[in-house]
Amino acid sequence: MAPPPPPPPNEDNSISHDSSSNDQHRPISTIVIIIAMQTEALPLVDAFQLTEDTNPLFPKGTPWVRYYGSYKALNVNIIWPGKDAVLGVDSVGTVSASLVTYAAIQALQPDLLINAGTAGGFKAKGACIGDVYVASEVAFHDRRIPIPVFDLYGVGLRRGCSTPNLVKELDFKVGKLSTGDSLDMTPQDEASILANDAVIKDMEGAAVAYVSDLLKVPVMFVKAVTDIVDGDKPTSEEFLQNLSAVTVALGKAVTQVVDYISGKSLSDL
Amino acid sequence: MSFGLITSLSLSPPPDYQREKITATPPSTTTMDPIHTQDENNSNQKTVSSDNHISTIVIIIAMQTEALPLVDTFKLTEDRNSPFPKGTPWVRYYGSYRGLNVNILWPGKDAALGVDSIGTVSASLVTYAAIQALQPDLIINAGTSGGFKAKGACIGDVYIASEVAFHDRRIPIPVFDLYGVGVRQGFSTPNLLKELNLKVGKLSTGDSLDMTPLDEASIVANDATVKDMEGAAVAYVADLLKVPAIFVKAVTDIVDGDKPTSEEFLQNLTAVTVALDETVARVVDYIVGKSVSEL
Repeated sequence: MAPPPPPPPNEDNSISHDSSSNDQHRPISTIVIIIAMQTEALPLVDAFQLTEDTNPLFPKGTPWVRYYGSYKALNVNIIWPGKDAVLGVDSVGTVSASLVTYAAIQALQPDLLINAGTAGGFKAKGACIGDVYVASEVAFHDRRIPIPVFDLYGVGLRRGCSTPNLVKELDFKVGKLSTGDSLDMTPQDEASILANDAVIKDMEGAAVAYVSDLLKVPVMFVKAVTDIVDGDKPTSEEFLQNLSAVTVALGKAVTQVVDYISGKSLSDL
Repeated sequence: MSFGLITSLSLSPPPDYQREKITATPPSTTTMDPIHTQDENNSNQKTVSSDNHISTIVIIIAMQTEALPLVDTFKLTEDRNSPFPKGTPWVRYYGSYRGLNVNILWPGKDAALGVDSIGTVSASLVTYAAIQALQPDLIINAGTSGGFKAKGACIGDVYIASEVAFHDRRIPIPVFDLYGVGVRQGFSTPNLLKELNLKVGKLSTGDSLDMTPLDEASIVANDATVKDMEGAAVAYVADLLKVPAIFVKAVTDIVDGDKPTSEEFLQNLTAVTVALDETVARVVDYIVGKSVSEL
């Protein structure tokens, strides 16, 4: 199956490459779902019956993988940054996520991005294992630059695109997401996360937000809680223990989101 | 990749904000620009190097303060027809210097906040985009850094990185931990090092200007002499796309010294930038007419 064609011209035959000029009332046509880990991605690839794109959409040497297909009224793409060529582990973290977001937007010109994945949650803010959150806001907690204005740049606070109807209809929890490149959490990280007022913590969100903002593509964040950060168990242990089960919950939630989106415009969300 | 029809070589003077720094001469009409040059057949061709000599270099510099003196030295002009997508703040300065196509890529100012787009995310994006657009034979990541006096670093020293790694990506799961650290070698340049008598040391990268105890432990584990905010990210992308990369870092502050980093950094930035740019100019002069294997 050939990859879907680029978006059709507008009625006056102009092509909108700049999503900010896209009609907010036009039905969403192409979505890109960015998922960092293969374990998180494959159940969704399955649910949407997508196929792996064997054509070289991305430059030789990049490990990024595109799964694509038609699902209901949508062109659905799941982009996974792939396994590190040398070490064989998922290319997690902000650098990979920003690159793959940039490349995917360039190649596919989506109307909407969804960054989906697992996250740590703070029980002090009401998070429980298996909870699925839509992020109201995202920010970095491990880019501390103590010079005026650079400090704000480091934190890189951005909003997720507004989806009040979706959140209400699907009954998702909403909270602030904090991003950092470490799975663990130092006291300084914790202080920054508290300052970010985050209920969930991941390793890609704020980077995806940064690129989406540069290229003006609306983005939403769907994160499922695998471990309680301010709990008793060590993060790595709890994360690995719960990954499979929580991935199922994540898959269901993202499927609901995509079902909800199908046939709607951005302003409907 | 098609770049469309020729755009005219600009003969107008450089933009206003550059006038203080750059002499007002227009770019040379013999400027070879792989993107905007059109040959007789009306196609755009990358300048083909003879004998595998390095033909196109990309110098990635995170801060405008660090970049502009070099733009001046090489008499580059800002590319007004940005090869990058609308919305990205990245700036390309380009020109011909002693037969080399020289490009300086600066990630630009953050659109909302107006500060240089420093750090690993920006650096990786601009490296990726620059390689895509310009297909360089060599990447040079040049910039300022903190130095560790315990490893012999002094303010104003300029180092070539033997190795680069991250110190703020701690993933305590087997193999993921190595991925997080992301250690990579700088491209081997024994002749350049010997000829220019440059100091060599390991570079550690993180997105924070300050340093927590855990960062410090990771930096020590990385055995680093110098500490920056972009190197390992540039290395990652250069490695993915198999472009040789070298790292030239000048020390603005002593991390294991008495003064607070931000203070010392801001104090020394201008002066140390001069030292940085002198060294980068010498490196580029050395590169002229050589292949990567001769470095």
